[in-house]
Amino acid sequence: MPGNRTRTFRPLAVGLALCAALTGCAGSDGGGSDGKAVLRYTWWGNPDRAARTEKAVALFEKRHPGIRVQTSFAGYDAYKQKLATQAAGGDAPDVMQLDYRMIDQYATGGVLLDLGTQRRALGTGDIDTGLLATGRVGGRQYAIPQGRGTETVVYDVEEWQAAGLAPPRGGWTWDAWADTMRTLARRTGKPGGTDPGQSEDSFEVWLRGQGKALYTKDRELGFTVDDLTRWWTFTDRLRREGAVSSAEQTTQLDGSVENTPLGRGTAVSDANWDAPAGGFLALVPDGIALAPMPSGEDGTPGQYFKPSMFLGAAAHTAHPKEAAELIDFMVNDPDAGAILGATRGIPVNEALRKHLAPTLKDFDRTISVYQASLEGDLKSPPQAPPSGDNALQTTFQRDYDQVSYERMSPREAAGNYLTEARAELRS
Amino acid sequence: MTTTDVPTTAVARTTAVPGRSRREREGAAWVFLSPWVLGAVVLTLLPMAVSLYLSFTDYDLFDSPHWVGLRNYTQMFTQDPRYWRSVIATMTYVVIAVPLQLALALAVALALKSMHRAKGFYRSAFYAPSLLGASMSVALVWRAVFNDGGPVDRLLGTGGWVNRPGWALLAVALLTVWQFGAPMVIFLAGLQQIPGELYEAAEVDGASRLRQFRSITVPMLSPVIFFNLVLQTIQAFQVFTPAFAVSAGKGGPADSTLFYTLYLYDRGFVASHMGYASAMAWVLLLAIGAVTAVLFRTSRSWVFYASEGDR
Repeated sequence: MPGNRTRTFRPLAVGLALCAALTGCAGSDGGGSDGKAVLRYTWWGNPDRAARTEKAVALFEKRHPGIRVQTSFAGYDAYKQKLATQAAGGDAPDVMQLDYRMIDQYATGGVLLDLGTQRRALGTGDIDTGLLATGRVGGRQYAIPQGRGTETVVYDVEEWQAAGLAPPRGGWTWDAWADTMRTLARRTGKPGGTDPGQSEDSFEVWLRGQGKALYTKDRELGFTVDDLTRWWTFTDRLRREGAVSSAEQTTQLDGSVENTPLGRGTAVSDANWDAPAGGFLALVPDGIALAPMPSGEDGTPGQYFKPSMFLGAAAHTAHPKEAAELIDFMVNDPDAGAILGATRGIPVNEALRKHLAPTLKDFDRTISVYQASLEGDLKSPPQAPPSGDNALQTTFQRDYDQVSYERMSPREAAGNYLTEARAELRS
Repeated sequence: MTTTDVPTTAVARTTAVPGRSRREREGAAWVFLSPWVLGAVVLTLLPMAVSLYLSFTDYDLFDSPHWVGLRNYTQMFTQDPRYWRSVIATMTYVVIAVPLQLALALAVALALKSMHRAKGFYRSAFYAPSLLGASMSVALVWRAVFNDGGPVDRLLGTGGWVNRPGWALLAVALLTVWQFGAPMVIFLAGLQQIPGELYEAAEVDGASRLRQFRSITVPMLSPVIFFNLVLQTIQAFQVFTPAFAVSAGKGGPADSTLFYTLYLYDRGFVASHMGYASAMAWVLLLAIGAVTAVLFRTSRSWVFYASEGDR
């Protein structure tokens, strides 16, 4: 019956059309219906970063009437997964924000465009050569760093002072830090900070303070089971004492400041990167301050200036020149710099940084002052981590869960981690 | 899918004009079947073959796969502690969730059967969670309900279930149990098939309600119970969305909700080890096949088919 057929087909067709709209899988050949070149641009970050980025993108579109930019962003963990799936499917965004840990994997996997081929659209003359080199793999420039960041102990100023503690000074040791956590817990009734045992980043700072490293130059593990056992024994004891966050709190970390114990108001401090720490302003009504990360026993600093938040373009983009223009705008344009401030760390463009420093406001200024206080003291950054490290960050967190939920001893979990890490790096 | 192609073949057969050759008739059948055959080959069989091949390779999605023989399988069984944690978590979940869900479905079906008014309304109301439950949004709400400071924490003062190993698994299992609608509807249909005379005769003989349930309802319903048991067990082994959402994608805390499929996803899409993930998928397929075979074997001793008695 023909009437019957149309009746069943119509809702089906409408349903399919809706699906396409909802999932955004309408398919795009990179050209808009209005004849504009369409670029997809994605990043991770908080709503504040998104608002500033959107504003900069709007300015870019105004200056380049032939280009339309579709933006999207997510939290780091979600972004990482989504990008991996897109990249594997050959559908990487035209312009994408990349972490230090992703470059090696995506460059060797043929996902990223050699930006050297777009030199005319994308200038790199004002970028510190050392930092620029961190975006290079096999002699080719696959990504441009946007800013530099470093880790920090970010704390609730009022509670810290109420506990009768002075602001920590550069060169304080891990033992001094541990004592501070204990004092905070005793005097404020809540843990002093996030349990750093789950964080590969904090472990790296601790390792470097002893002159060691996460990875050797040959891309193998730079530490032993004993090192990791000592670290986890140290943090596990603090957790048992209640000096750092409980397992139930720690397990909720997902890369966003909102889900840290400090962000939830259940701890006084957190170890984090300086740029995202601005997100705490909205969560900690008393105000926050930044302190350096603890150093080794002899004062060797473990933290370093890390090139943060690279921009790269997809190897298969339909518009390589336009993609390069967008990257150039985000990295080099003074007006874009003024809008973006330090939302992705202090800009790496030297001319821009000098020009921008006095005009930075609010938390951008806090970061700028914090980084200036470390200038000259820190050691140079390690080379980009090998590709397996991307997955190992999560493994590290999971293995420590076994320790903090008291299902394994630190040594047992450390043994597990090394087994898994070696398998990961071998393949 | 299967319900639509059965009538198609039936139609093809009955409308065939007598006198035409058998080959022609078969040709027509294949034409009508072709959409389904095409789908089955291209979307199911081919990917399965590829995944079997990939399970013997090291494949990171970017570089082409290279042959490693049985390495993925040996690594899985001998060098991956997390793999065994995921196996244990999955088994625990199946053993808790499936019986609870079936018991609840049967209880509600029994209650509905003896109901006279508003039966249709209650049936729909109890079925609704099955339609909603598989969605991401409900799973996210579930996480909020069982998280720190959520309604359950406030009511019972237990803290957030989702952040405690053991309790988190229970929260996920409850989400499954809550979706008892599908087996309930099947139970209800099965209950209505049981001849009323049996109960009447039992009542005349003075059998109690419990006795009637044990001696009439359960044996008469046993084929339906078996059907639901097999179906739900197979589904439970493959559960993904609830655990993914309730544990915020991590299978935590401490890997307590790291179900097999979740770990498979983690290996494949997070760590980019597609070869390893494919090997895991094949082991899962074989394991589910084995469990189903065992269920069928045991069914001989407890499932009663009324028609057998007639033979």
